Amino acid sequence: MHRLVFLATLFGLFVLSSVVSQAAPTHSVVPGFERFHAAGKGDAALGGQLLLGELNCTSCHKADAAAAALIQNKQAPVLDAVGARVRPQYLRRFLADPQAVKPGTTMPNLFAALPAAERKQTVEALVHYLASTAKPAHESANRKAAARGQGLFHQVGCTACHGSVGTDAPPLATSVPLGDLERKYTLGGLADFLANPLKVRPAGRMPDLRLVGTQARDVAHYLAGGDLAAANVNFKIYLGSWGKLPDFNTMKPSATGTGDGFDISVRPRAQQSGVRFEGFFRVVSEGDYTFLLHSDDGSKLYIDGKLIVDNDGTHAGTSKSGKTRLAAGMRQVTVDYFNAGGPFVLRVEFEGPGIKRQDLGDVMSLTKEPPKPKTDKKDPDAGPFVLNADLAKQGKKLFASIGCASCHQMKGQETPAGAKTSLAKLTGAGGCMSAAPVKGAPHFALSGPQRVAIAAGIKKIAAGSAAPQAEDLIAQTLTRFNCYACHERNKLGGVEQVRNALFLGSVPEMGDEGRIPPPLTGVGAKLTAAWMKQLFDRGAKDRPYMQTRMPRFGVANVGHLVAAFGAVDKIEPVKTPAFSRKPKSVKAAGWHLVGNRALSCTKCHNFKDIKSTGINAMDITLMPKRLKHDWFHRYMVNPAAFRPGTRMPASFPDGQTLLKDILDGDANKQIEAIWVYLADGRRAKMPFGLSRASLELVADDEAIMYRNFIQGAGTRGIGVAYPEGINLAFDANAIRLAMIWQGGFIDAAKHWNGRGAGFQGPLGDNVVALRGGASFAVLENDKSPWPAEAAKKLGYKFRGYRLDKDRRPTFLYDYGAIHIEDFPMAVDSEDYPTLRRTLTLSSEKPVDNLWFQAAVSGNIQAGKDGTYTIDGALKMKITAAGKPVIRDGQLLVPVKFGNGKAVIVQEFDW
Amino acid sequence: MTLRVTLAAFAIFTGFASLSPAADPLPTEADYYKILKFKIPEGVVLEAGGLELMPDGKLAVCSRRGDIYMISDPFAENPAEESKFTLWAQGLHEVLGLAQRNGWLYCVQRCELTRMKDSDGDGRADLFETVSDGWEISGDYHEYAFGSRFDKNGHLWTVLCLTGSFTSNTKFRGWCLRFDENGKMIPTCSGIRSPGGIGMNYEGDVFFTDNQGPWNGTCSLKHLKPGSFQGHPIGNKWYDEPGVVAAMGPRPKDPKSGSRIMTEAAKIPQYMPPAILLPYNKMGKSASGITADRSGGKFGPFAGQTFVADQSHSTIMRCFLEKVNGRYQGACFMFRRGFSSGNLPIMLTKDGSMFVGGTNRGWGSTGRQPFALERMQWTGKLPFEVHEMRAKSDGFELTFTKPVDPQTAGDPASYKMGTYTYIFQSSYGSPEVDHTTPTIDRVVLGPDGKTVRLYLSKLQPGHIHELHMPGVRSKDALPLLHNVGYYTLNYIPKK
Repeated sequence: MHRLVFLATLFGLFVLSSVVSQAAPTHSVVPGFERFHAAGKGDAALGGQLLLGELNCTSCHKADAAAAALIQNKQAPVLDAVGARVRPQYLRRFLADPQAVKPGTTMPNLFAALPAAERKQTVEALVHYLASTAKPAHESANRKAAARGQGLFHQVGCTACHGSVGTDAPPLATSVPLGDLERKYTLGGLADFLANPLKVRPAGRMPDLRLVGTQARDVAHYLAGGDLAAANVNFKIYLGSWGKLPDFNTMKPSATGTGDGFDISVRPRAQQSGVRFEGFFRVVSEGDYTFLLHSDDGSKLYIDGKLIVDNDGTHAGTSKSGKTRLAAGMRQVTVDYFNAGGPFVLRVEFEGPGIKRQDLGDVMSLTKEPPKPKTDKKDPDAGPFVLNADLAKQGKKLFASIGCASCHQMKGQETPAGAKTSLAKLTGAGGCMSAAPVKGAPHFALSGPQRVAIAAGIKKIAAGSAAPQAEDLIAQTLTRFNCYACHERNKLGGVEQVRNALFLGSVPEMGDEGRIPPPLTGVGAKLTAAWMKQLFDRGAKDRPYMQTRMPRFGVANVGHLVAAFGAVDKIEPVKTPAFSRKPKSVKAAGWHLVGNRALSCTKCHNFKDIKSTGINAMDITLMPKRLKHDWFHRYMVNPAAFRPGTRMPASFPDGQTLLKDILDGDANKQIEAIWVYLADGRRAKMPFGLSRASLELVADDEAIMYRNFIQGAGTRGIGVAYPEGINLAFDANAIRLAMIWQGGFIDAAKHWNGRGAGFQGPLGDNVVALRGGASFAVLENDKSPWPAEAAKKLGYKFRGYRLDKDRRPTFLYDYGAIHIEDFPMAVDSEDYPTLRRTLTLSSEKPVDNLWFQAAVSGNIQAGKDGTYTIDGALKMKITAAGKPVIRDGQLLVPVKFGNGKAVIVQEFDW
Repeated sequence: MTLRVTLAAFAIFTGFASLSPAADPLPTEADYYKILKFKIPEGVVLEAGGLELMPDGKLAVCSRRGDIYMISDPFAENPAEESKFTLWAQGLHEVLGLAQRNGWLYCVQRCELTRMKDSDGDGRADLFETVSDGWEISGDYHEYAFGSRFDKNGHLWTVLCLTGSFTSNTKFRGWCLRFDENGKMIPTCSGIRSPGGIGMNYEGDVFFTDNQGPWNGTCSLKHLKPGSFQGHPIGNKWYDEPGVVAAMGPRPKDPKSGSRIMTEAAKIPQYMPPAILLPYNKMGKSASGITADRSGGKFGPFAGQTFVADQSHSTIMRCFLEKVNGRYQGACFMFRRGFSSGNLPIMLTKDGSMFVGGTNRGWGSTGRQPFALERMQWTGKLPFEVHEMRAKSDGFELTFTKPVDPQTAGDPASYKMGTYTYIFQSSYGSPEVDHTTPTIDRVVLGPDGKTVRLYLSKLQPGHIHELHMPGVRSKDALPLLHNVGYYTLNYIPKK
């Protein structure tokens, strides 16, 4: 102990030979340095300046204000509640040798020059101190959460700095290493960190990806969930017949176990049984929580033994909810459920501060405390960790004396005054810069180029630092915060080729524009200062097609960019046109221009929350908030000049409008009118053409046809509407009558607006899907099964159709050598129309054992005179030479040829 | 603004602007080619997908809504007044191709090749025969089918769009198939991505336009040589279908993503590089219909050349094709802007009328009408244009439509050449890459007064050679109507 204090006072004064043999550590990874300065690239002094900040040198070696502004040091993580977050077993190994445990870390080794025993003692005390700051934020790993987290990690932008995880590919030189997160973090701790990284790491190098709701937790479970155990609740099963929930406490369960969420299928029988689920729910922030039970039959939910939701009794699916205020920490959840008879269901959901309603079963933990420690002797983290208060006390003193507090903010610790040599007076050699550890000095793992750069950086600062030019300041900031990982500016930075495929979009035809974050060249002339500030303050996700989000870096960290961008990025001003008409009428012209009778902007752009039928380009009402007026004008005239390769069309070629009859045919006026209209933001009136009116097709006085993707009739559907008010759909791929219905025919809006994606079903009612495969088959005998193969495989060929004077089709198709003419027609009766279908078969050669499948149903009742009732609703009459038979849920009609011809009439009444 | 940016980019030429006659405004495209609009009757939604001239002199137009209209007096001086529309067929599935032959009107709809006839003479089709449904559809809107006219061998060709951009979920998505009039199907080319049109050049060889996307850095005009592979490998699994290898030859190797077109063309013998790349944004964004000038001069000075439409920019481009190394390549030029909707099908008739059909549903266009039918006509006035741009072993040979001013046309400073290509890759599109700036060392005028030879410091095989000619003047002191040409130099001709 005394010795340690002694050592600390001698910090930096002695140069001792290394007494600890070390596996050669890889150097500290600073992405901007690796990309622009490694291997002697770039300006060494600038690279050094970058490192002086990223390695936090000025925490000890004070810099004057001008140099400090240039260096913008990266504050080390705040350790106030590190015990909730980082596992002590990991800290023990990490503090003893940071580079070995997390290669590439920027954390120096403070004890490299200490004898082993002493190092162990020191580290142990510090670990107990750090662990004493908070209880671990334990959670059970959850597979579903991790699966969602995997998706998020690879979509929202994590990979821009960290690279892809879970591949065997070696990490990229410019990737910020993650280390072994499973050993480092408690799941809850990592989730809390990811939800607000700037709280622990205020310097913004790890920005806030705006993970909302359970997203932070999901990513944490993906990154640190390890071999995920699916079980996260305990259950006890009870058998018995009850009218309401019995007191399970007094009963003996018939079985117990653990499962994944509130899954009532764990019961051995659905009826006359009940189950109690127990587990824990980690409340992250204090607040009001609402719990919801939907069950058939009864259920109850308790938190810490207190009844919150009572949905008891014998009933059909019923929802009940209850609200309670919960303090942060692990809360015990008990859910009791029973079902007496009939259908059965249980859903348990919750919502809370910042958490949208979701399945509670997803976030449960099996235990209140972390599971028992690993017992595998080979595991470096094996063995329990029992907090020792004395050691923690020792650690607290050490924390101060060693100088940890110089870099790490910690509750109850004062930041030491800058007792070390000031930055400008450093020589750039020896001490922290030594290749071999020096007793009393932190040992940084530096590469050769890093050492050269730091020395150059110090030298430059010693020579006196002038405030940088705005463009230089911008470049330095974009390097420091690794903005260049996503954004290019003035041909510098941008997505690295090796990382390009990691950037994803949801609209493939947007190409790179839809997945690569926009360039920052000229951004100061483009975005308003307020909007830019908001981006830094809150981050953004305004491009619906782009998966990567703009993270929150914090105004305190990057806010100076607003003025710098504004100072250097200029655009030729636009003369705002003078209007002789009233402002209202200008706005109306803007409204007209945006709509589908003019420029059709909303064909691609979303309008507020209404999605366009095209590519879902950015909400158009955001534009005047985001964009500067002059830039908007210039961009409208020539989008490709500002964004090469953009999908945005040039609506004003050569600055001319094609709409000569609006606002004097003056392009400048028209663009201004659009600006005026859009400036209403979310209050802007909906543009014309956005509401999708229905396009009902009606057969007025003759039959009409609709060939398209028809739900129930396949990709080669042929819909026919008859003026009598009935409709059918023929499936030209399966070559069979697929569907009949009454009333409205088809709404073509889905196919005739936008690109026409998807299937459209019937508009009317009494839709009868005619089941079964091929209509005709040759069977060996009347016991042979009906063939299951697709019609074309069976030798069917669709040949088209012929229309009669009333435009009614006769469908033409072949089955082998048999020609079939299939003529459906509507028959008006007094009440409602029926359908009569005449099938005429012809064949040059007689065909034996040919059958027609008239209906398929488990419920076919034969009536009088060749009538049948199908499914109790559809009446069918068959008129044919052969006598129909009912077998295996089929109504089959033998086809009898006479003179090479056979006729079957099938009538539908429904 | 566009103009200003262009001039700024080539600031060296701004001085020439003063050479143009100051008094008269310069002639525009409209002075040489006028666009006449048809008046589409109220209630008719003519989202044109295909055009055909019928034996009775009517114009047949099919639509994306599945209608076919017959239009009377299509060549009328004032079609808006004189031409009448009658519905001939309805209820078809997104029809994108019409061709008449032997009393039948054939159409390619999404689901099949159909032929139709009005057998009772009441002015409406009543017989619809399925000629072939030999390709499959999965229900994805992107699975379009475009159809050609009959070729010199009596075949009708179709190009089938992939399922989306990256997949071929059902049989023959991403293929070209051709059919005889009885429906016999011949697998013809693989490697297609997203066609916007199909048609023939003057010689009767079949071309299609493919659109920017995976394996297509930009839109292009491609020659459908039977047996060839057109670049997008995802549909090549259908080589395993019966009869395909017999018709096509062996399956090609997949190209390497991230490579260049001509690097892969050297490795994959079946791969047919695009004949003409249409630089993205500079020459449109959605290449569509194709037609050739068989009017023998009735459409102006470009007899024998090929025209390509662009849906997004509502334009018509002009393509000069030549064969080098046995394969088509050549140059494209802007021809005419200002059409009313998104141009899709185009048809240039023997008597010199170009019919242009438009739709912008689902894909926006510069022309603002949701649909349109127009006819473009030469006014008889001769525009000053590059007539042909031919590759030479050491540069290019330009011929002009009119005699040139020897001083400006003979000055190397009147021209500027840049070259570039695109990444040939599996992801969507590509920026322009590998830029070079060859110098124009020497310019030699031909004795006919209309020919100019450009000698370049270095040609770049596989690159677009973008030639700006802002300084060139005609003998009567006019600048070029379109002063940029884009030559896709896949192969450099031997001396």
